[in-house]
Amino acid sequence: MKKFSLYIIWNLVVINHMQVFAQAPLLNSYSPAAATIYLDFDGAVVEGTLWNADGKIIAEPSGLSPATITWIHRIISDHFKLFNLNITTERAVYERAPVRQRIHVIITPDGSWYGPVTGVSAIGSFSWGNDTPAWVFIHALSDNPSFIASCATHQIGHTLGLQHQSEYDSYGVMITELSGGETNIFSNEAPLMGIPFYKTADWRDGHPSTGAHYTQSDTARIAGAPNYIGYRKSAGNSGTDETAIKIDRQDPGLLELNSTGNFSYRLFDVNGRLLKQGMLTTGYNRIPASMAAEGVYVLQWLGESSSGFKKIMHD
Amino acid sequence: MHTLKSILSGLFLLFSISLIAQKKDAVTDLPYSNKTEISDQVLESLFQSTGKISINLAPGFRLEGNIQNKSYHGDLVISLLIKLENREGALLSITRFKEPNGHLFYSGNLLKLHDAEGLVLTEKDNHYYFIETQQRFLVSE
Repeated sequence: MKKFSLYIIWNLVVINHMQVFAQAPLLNSYSPAAATIYLDFDGAVVEGTLWNADGKIIAEPSGLSPATITWIHRIISDHFKLFNLNITTERAVYERAPVRQRIHVIITPDGSWYGPVTGVSAIGSFSWGNDTPAWVFIHALSDNPSFIASCATHQIGHTLGLQHQSEYDSYGVMITELSGGETNIFSNEAPLMGIPFYKTADWRDGHPSTGAHYTQSDTARIAGAPNYIGYRKSAGNSGTDETAIKIDRQDPGLLELNSTGNFSYRLFDVNGRLLKQGMLTTGYNRIPASMAAEGVYVLQWLGESSSGFKKIMHD
Repeated sequence: MHTLKSILSGLFLLFSISLIAQKKDAVTDLPYSNKTEISDQVLESLFQSTGKISINLAPGFRLEGNIQNKSYHGDLVISLLIKLENREGALLSITRFKEPNGHLFYSGNLLKLHDAEGLVLTEKDNHYYFIETQQRFLVSE
């Protein structure tokens, strides 16, 4: 009986150990893309990078369950749905990616080697080519999956060259480095490169922390040089349906269209600058947009039933 | 009144000229306090070194330290991590890319985590510069 009890206890210990160190599920958001973001939940040993002033760093596995990892991966992937970029949890996919189009994001419990922060990264390191990782420290995020996903997206944004989105007063004096969406207090939106935790967060065109006289279009910066990621030919994992939206009329400053469903939409200029975003409802919709200049615009829509994009020639 | 107008116009003109000059002179889109040009021969010499480093990157810009790590990323990329003794243990991380046409390209930074200022290697028109900027523009939380 004693032997049997010991056998049971031993097996429980082994099973528990296996669960903690279980490998993350193998997930890919957009396999055709070469550019790769590797979400590493399995722990890592880091050396030879700018983080290693005090020697080797041993990052423990996240300890998150496969279901939580899958959820976090989906939320992060949604933020990058627009771009020709694969969010993976597979190390082999990362290793196959071009060295100047990849980043390793280590999601680990403890960041005490760096300090009391939720995450840290080197700005622009996605294209450095030397495998400098970015960090997300989950205990500092109360192990909250939503916060972990937001923080990881924010850190990935830094590695893609984005500075913080900040708020300035009318004299150009910084009010806060990390915008929480204060420009419109009635809005429930905040920039991903500000404080993305408590509101619906998205990429923004705004003034970065480098100064009020600078502008930063998050989407254009991510897609363009030196990352050279670009945009997906079609967005989303759900079926692409280019007939879901029919443009009825386009005038300077106004787009009229018919939608077959309820979709969120974004309108970009040819440089990837976000001009407008919002919701489309089934039927007739009007999008007031600053399309004064001649050129090509891209309307992207995302919904439960379908997603897609349409190029609009404006002349 | 005319005098005041003339003075203000003159000041505005001077301000505009200085802004244009600054913009023309800029080697990066980051605000920076200082820049030092570094020749690519000097950068290349770092990759030929082993162990201890003692080199003048530019007049008044001396590096003393040890190569802490040398790593290869694919066939065309080499990275060095140099711990500097004459800069309070700051790390120089520098990477060399060999492009398919044989052209060499360098990138890097010189940082001590949690310091206020840092240096980043920038290339413009085939000239390399170490620019000094606020570290929060290089490493961010």
